[in-house]
Amino acid sequence: MNNSIEQWFASCGVMPGILGCGVRHPDGTCVSQRFHDSCSRERLDQALQSLGDSLSSFATHGLAPRWLTWTFEQGQLRLVLHPDGRMLALAIQPDTPAAENLDLLTEEFLTLNFAA
Amino acid sequence: MAISPRGPKATVTTPANQQHILFVDDEANFLDTIRALFAAWSKNAWQIECATSADQALEILKTRSFDLVVVDVNMPVLDGEQLLRILARRYPDLKKAVITGHATEQRRSACLANGAELFIEKPRSMEGLKSVFTMIEELVTWKQQAGFQGMLRRVGLQDVIQMECLGRNSSILEVADRKLNGRIYIEDGRIIHAVVGEMKGEAAFQKLLALPGGSFELQHFEPPGEQTIQGQWEFLLMEAARVRDESTPEAAPATEPVVAPEPPPVVETPAGPPGFFPRVAEMLICSGKGEPLYQWQCADAKTRVALMVEITQQARRAGQLLALGKFDRLEIQLPAGRAVAQIKPDRMVFVQVATETKTPDRIP
Repeated sequence: MNNSIEQWFASCGVMPGILGCGVRHPDGTCVSQRFHDSCSRERLDQALQSLGDSLSSFATHGLAPRWLTWTFEQGQLRLVLHPDGRMLALAIQPDTPAAENLDLLTEEFLTLNFAA
Repeated sequence: MAISPRGPKATVTTPANQQHILFVDDEANFLDTIRALFAAWSKNAWQIECATSADQALEILKTRSFDLVVVDVNMPVLDGEQLLRILARRYPDLKKAVITGHATEQRRSACLANGAELFIEKPRSMEGLKSVFTMIEELVTWKQQAGFQGMLRRVGLQDVIQMECLGRNSSILEVADRKLNGRIYIEDGRIIHAVVGEMKGEAAFQKLLALPGGSFELQHFEPPGEQTIQGQWEFLLMEAARVRDESTPEAAPATEPVVAPEPPPVVETPAGPPGFFPRVAEMLICSGKGEPLYQWQCADAKTRVALMVEITQQARRAGQLLALGKFDRLEIQLPAGRAVAQIKPDRMVFVQVATETKTPDRIP
């Protein structure tokens, strides 16, 4: 796993309310980390692949998302597109520090330098 | 001016200010009452025709022009909702209203989706009849405002609050009926305060949302002296819908009409930080089946509906995979603004807000 991602995942782990996170690389491979029993890595990878594949449909509709937030009854899923083509998925619980700091986590991910 | 139906019709010469209204109801007694009272109250400005069945109404419409058709929902053979669909197809420009003894939120949504501009509960008192008369008079004389593409009448107070919250706007909604005046404060898409008379907080909010009729206007936001509401706007609106449903005659007999339309709101871009202004760039509200109910600057409603269907499918899959429960909405952060798609069983909403660095324009 890329060091930057590894370190960033570790920093995510200390934020209460994160169920899991994953990154899809431009080549289609995924790395993910679970922080809660309800969010298995396998399922996180599947969600990441599925939502990543569907991103092209937004472009078809004239929308160029920087990030997307899917809100459900029991959580949120934030999908962030890094300028280098990587895509982050963060699954979080509502009304938690993670939910409050979702934008901050997003900005952090966007400033990560994966080449380093 | 009367709207001409497409089918063959006889020429009718009438004074310019006379309104032609067709009432369709299988209760002959109710029609007799309406005809006598409304003709008198309108000082004979209303030319009232009555039909006791949908078939009869369609026959009359072939030969006469009308400004408005008022339809009862519960009728034998061809019911009001079916008639509305036929009218919408044959006479798309004809104004349509529904009057029913069994008003429910589901029925209201269905009737509005089928082209009704107004949904009224059948009155049970003289005062109720007067309210219905006023509402119909307002509808029949109402002219569409420049800049809005139809169907604005179908957008109620609840819809406007939803739009403001989804767009993360800041505004004050001034709500009034004949007896009450109240205000709902929305800041950055959160409902933070409501006041009506001495009442404040959620109780005031629910009271305003439960008003049977009246008017509302959007005003520029000014911070209230206090914040009395903390809850999420979705839950507040859901609770308001529940309270309103429970106040319908099916649950508790009422003497007043329950559902009434609000006049077209004056929508203004709320004030924001200097040099940074959110502007609603596009708005689309559809029924749960994807039929557009209201649109503003939406270039292609069909394409947007298709997008919302795709979003629903994606959300369903992701929600199942990660056990996140029922999907509520998708927020899309764009390079210069954001979009929100909210998908409910009975409604789909798409709002795009652009952020600009100029003085806000008034939305027409």
